[in-house]
Order: sequence, then structure tokens, then C-alpha cells
Amino acid sequence: MSDDINLLSRVKKEATRAWAIGWKDIKVYYLSPPTLMFGIMFPFALFFTFTVGRDLSITEMLPILFSQTVFWAASTVGPVVIPLERRTKTFDRYLSAPMSLCSVILGKSLAGVVFGVLVSAVPLIVGWLFFPFQIVDIVLFSLGIFLSCVAFAAMGIMFASVPTESVGNIMMPMNFVRIPLLFISGIFIPIESLPPLGQVVSLFSPLTHTLILIRCGFGISTYPIPPPVSVCALLLSGLVFLLVSRQFHEINKRRE
Amino acid sequence: MTSAISVTELTKKFGDFTAVDKVSFEVEVGEIFGFLGPNGAGKTTTTRMLTGISSPTEGRAEIMGHEIHSFAAKERMGVVTDLSNVYNDLSAWDNLIFTAKLYGLNRRKREEKAAELLELFGLYEVRKNNVREFSGGMKRRLTIAMALVNDADVLFLDEPTTALDVQSVKMIRNLIRQLNESGTTIFLTTHNMAEANELCSRIAIISQGRIGAIGTPEELKSAMDKMHYLEVVFDHTPEDFISDLRQLSSVREVEQHGDKYRLFTLTPSDTLLELFDIVQAKGVKPHTVNTLAPSLEDVFIELTGQDIVHRGEFQKQKHGRKRGGGR
Ligand SMILES: Nc1ncnc2c1ncn2[C@@H]1O[C@H](COP(=O)(O)OP(=O)(O)OP(=O)(O)O)[C@@H](O)[C@H]1O
Ligand SMILES: [Mg+2]
Repeated sequence: MSDDINLLSRVKKEATRAWAIGWKDIKVYYLSPPTLMFGIMFPFALFFTFTVGRDLSITEMLPILFSQTVFWAASTVGPVVIPLERRTKTFDRYLSAPMSLCSVILGKSLAGVVFGVLVSAVPLIVGWLFFPFQIVDIVLFSLGIFLSCVAFAAMGIMFASVPTESVGNIMMPMNFVRIPLLFISGIFIPIESLPPLGQVVSLFSPLTHTLILIRCGFGISTYPIPPPVSVCALLLSGLVFLLVSRQFHEINKRRE
Repeated sequence: MTSAISVTELTKKFGDFTAVDKVSFEVEVGEIFGFLGPNGAGKTTTTRMLTGISSPTEGRAEIMGHEIHSFAAKERMGVVTDLSNVYNDLSAWDNLIFTAKLYGLNRRKREEKAAELLELFGLYEVRKNNVREFSGGMKRRLTIAMALVNDADVLFLDEPTTALDVQSVKMIRNLIRQLNESGTTIFLTTHNMAEANELCSRIAIISQGRIGAIGTPEELKSAMDKMHYLEVVFDHTPEDFISDLRQLSSVREVEQHGDKYRLFTLTPSDTLLELFDIVQAKGVKPHTVNTLAPSLEDVFIELTGQDIVHRGEFQKQKHGRKRGGGR
């Protein structure tokens, strides 16, 4: 009984401290130039690149936009924050603070999740005010947005766990992964028109599942993957990214 | 009674290079424990391991009976790292509030504590300013203030007084004493012998990753006194002059290093007087005369009786394994 209470109070402590880290990152880094560029400009710019001249309906276009906002915004915050905190050695503070490495990583991911959700809210509000469209399945749509933000924030943290003090050293390799992902995830080229091998590969990209869920939310499901599979895929990739991040940080602690 | 800090064979390797080599010691509750050593001795590396920032390659350590990486250990300690790691994008106030959140203080306590500490460190007037604009000394003071938010049982201070002016140094030293009187155990890293002497109840001397000696400041001081010497260069030296120098009653030992003669003495002023008699008698002129206090390395050697061989070689002799590289 008292063990349960101890566990509960411990979880509460860890959670409030993780939230403190997330909230600080939100306040300090949301308006920094790399966040604005990769987190806000990129998704909108890419959206127009992908849609202009492609005779798509608004319902076809919006899932592409949402997939871009969650993808870029959520994954950008970690790689901006962590190298700066390494440079000023403030990252060491989390390691000596009374909280587990897991909570530190979750706290760091939090800012990315919130940023992804906020940036995605912009097209939602604008679209809702000015264009006729309907979200058919609000649950799948919300899950698609939220779980993708978690997965991509965790992906950002994973890349940011590489021990470097420069933002560029993380953004560069990460863009080498992020940009190719766009091409195999049904954003630019619909999955159905990829060759069979491409279709198989695309299922391993979390971004594919983002798009599947958001499209389901809009009532278009052209690709025969049941939504629960996509939900699981996003959950799983988020978890894997977080575990890999933790492992990286453990290794860093051993090397530094 | 459990020790405040208990360290067993703690080792840190960076690749082939052993920065901290099987260090063991105990710090009792209520002590101010000095960790004294020259640059590169491994002080910061040890402190980083004890505070959970870096993982030991081997060995173990406990804080108040709790394993160093545990939640319980971290809750009980405060840390001032060697660099002033403040959040440049936050105000002084927000730096303290954020740190207090990490240590789980509730809102009222956070604000009380932040105000109290800013006041104590003379930063209250500038509490709303962005820390980026602070001078090095102000950042240092803020860093120390941040380590005090959780009223830690064990406080780690890695060269806390670097970058501070005389007044601030005095204030910090008084504060360390006060904190200690109110029950805080203090682990103080420094390369300043005077500081260690003034504050600490016990001092460990570390050099090249190994603890040479642990003792009270008195023990250290008597070892240091033995190490004072005059260094003299003469214009010429007659036959067997060195044995004449050895005859001087106040001189313990004479060493010749090139044209320099080192006269080890407990009383440099007596030696100086005796020296003048002998140079007059022998018709020799001293070119230069210097009175020198021992360096940390000298004291280390005196206390341990071990010569500090080149970093690579000592361990090869002692443990038959490789050390070195990295520098
Ligand atoms: N991350 C690292 N990688 C490789 N070598 C390191 C690393 N950190 C420290 N060292 C080496 O370990 C040794 C001990 O360094 P440490 O910083 O602990 O010394 P220190 O006693 O704190 O010195 P100082 O008085 O200059 O602060 C040094 O030789 C240093 O070059
Ligand atoms: Mg140091």
C-alpha cells in the first residue's frame, strides 16, 4: 500500500519536473530563428511546393498540410534546444537534478509535441473559418495529429542526443532523413502509385501513418491499412525513438 | 552513522587515458572536505561523477547512504559546477524559479527562496534582467545561489570562487562556513591551498587522478613548511661549495639544479642571514636569491613520498598497465 503511494508520489514528482523543463523550453525557444525557420516556414513552404498546380481538392490538400506541420514543427524543437544547452552546460543541471533520465527526455520532447500541435492548429482554424471541409472522424484525426507530434518530437530528441554543441551538426543529418521521408510517405507521390517495394518501405515511415490517420479523419481512406495499425505504428516509433535517445544519453554520460 | 559521501575505487577513463584512478575516501556528515589539486588533476571529473553528470567507468559512490544515481541521492545534494551554467535566456529570477521547480519546491517556497537568495547574493536589484547581460562574477554568484534552492544536505562546490572579486570571495567563504555550521556537508574543490587551509576540516590532495594524501590542514601545513626553500644563483662557486651550504644550521637539504642551488629550510630568514656570512667568507657573490613556497605538486610528493613521474609512466610501473595518451 505505502509502496503504491510512494510510486504515485514519485511519478507525480517526475511529471511536474518534466513539465517544468518542457514549459521553460516553450517560453525560451519557440521564437528562436531556427525554430521559426524549420518549424513554421518549412512546412508551409513545402506544402505549397507539393500542392500548387496539382489540381487537388481542399480535402485532399489539407492532410498534406497537417502532415507537414506536425512533421517539421514537432521534430525541430529538440535539435534547437539540446545543443545550445550542451554549449552552456545547462544540460548538466538535468543530470544532477532529482529526476530520471527518462523524465528529462520526456520533458525535452514535450516542447516539441506542444509546438507541433500549436502549429497545426493554425491551418485548422484558418481552414475551418474560410473553407468548407468536414472532419469526419475527429478521434482518428486527433490521434493522427497528437501521436505524430509525439513520434516526431521524439525523433528530434533522438537526433539531438548526438553529443555536439552546434545546432547545424544536428539539423544537417536530420534533414538528410526528413526530406527523403517525404518521398516515401505518400505526401508527394501517393503510396498507391509507388512500386511494390516502395509501398513496403513506406509502411516503415511513421509519416505514412500520420497521413493515413489524418486522411481517415477527413473521410478519405484510399490505402488499405486499418487505422489501428497506424496508431500502433506511431506509438511504437515514438517509443523506439525515446528509448534510443535514452541509450544515447547513457552513452554520453559514460564518455564525458 | 552513515557518511555524507562514501567513495570506493572510483575510476574514470577517457579512452585510454585514466583521468581518475581508483579514488576512495569518506566524508563525514558536517565536514568541509577539501579536494585540492593542480590543473588537470581530476577534481572536476570526480565531482561530475559524484553529482550524476557523468558515469564512472568503475567503482561506486554513495551520498548519505544512497547510490549516486538514485533519486534520493540527487534530492539531497546541491551542485555548483566548474563553469557558471546559468540559462542565458532567462532572467535571474526565472533561473532560480526554474531550478526550484526541478527540485520540487511549491510555488510559495520557490518565490520565497528566490527572493531570499537573490537578496543574499546582491542580485535582487537586477533580478528581472536577462542573465546574458550579467558579468562573469554575477553569473558565478547566481550559479551558487541556484545550488542553494533545495537546502541540500551535501553541497558540491567546484572552484566556487573563480571569477569573483575579493569581496565576493570573502562573502562566499563566510557563507560556506555558515552553511556548514547549520549542518550542510561541503565538498569543496579548489587548487588554492590557502582557501583549502582556511575553510576545510580535512583535505584530500589529488594529482594525476590519484589521491596522494588525506589530512587535516595542520598536517598539510607542516608538510608545506618543510618545503620552503631559497633558490640562489652565485656568480661562481668554489670547490665543494655545496657541502659548505649543507653545513648551514638552518638548512635541511641542498639540491643543485644547473646553476641554481635550492636550500630547503623551515626558517627562510635565518637561512638568508647564514647565507650572507658564508658568501662573505668565501668571496662569492649571489646573483639572484628567491624565496619560494612549495607548489601543490611539491606538497603531493612530500606527503606521498612518490615522485610524479611523467603521466604515462607511473602507472606502468605501479599497475603494469597503460596510462597516458589524451594529452
Ligand atoms: N571529456 C573529456 N575527454 C577527455 N579527457 C578529459 C575530458 N574531461 C577531462 N579530461 C582530462 O581529464 C583530466 C582531468 O581533468 P579535470 O577537468 O577533472 O581536472 P581538474 O582537476 O578539474 O583541473 P582544473 O583545476 O583545471 O579544473 C585532464 O587531463 C583532462 O584533460
Ligand atoms: Mg576543474
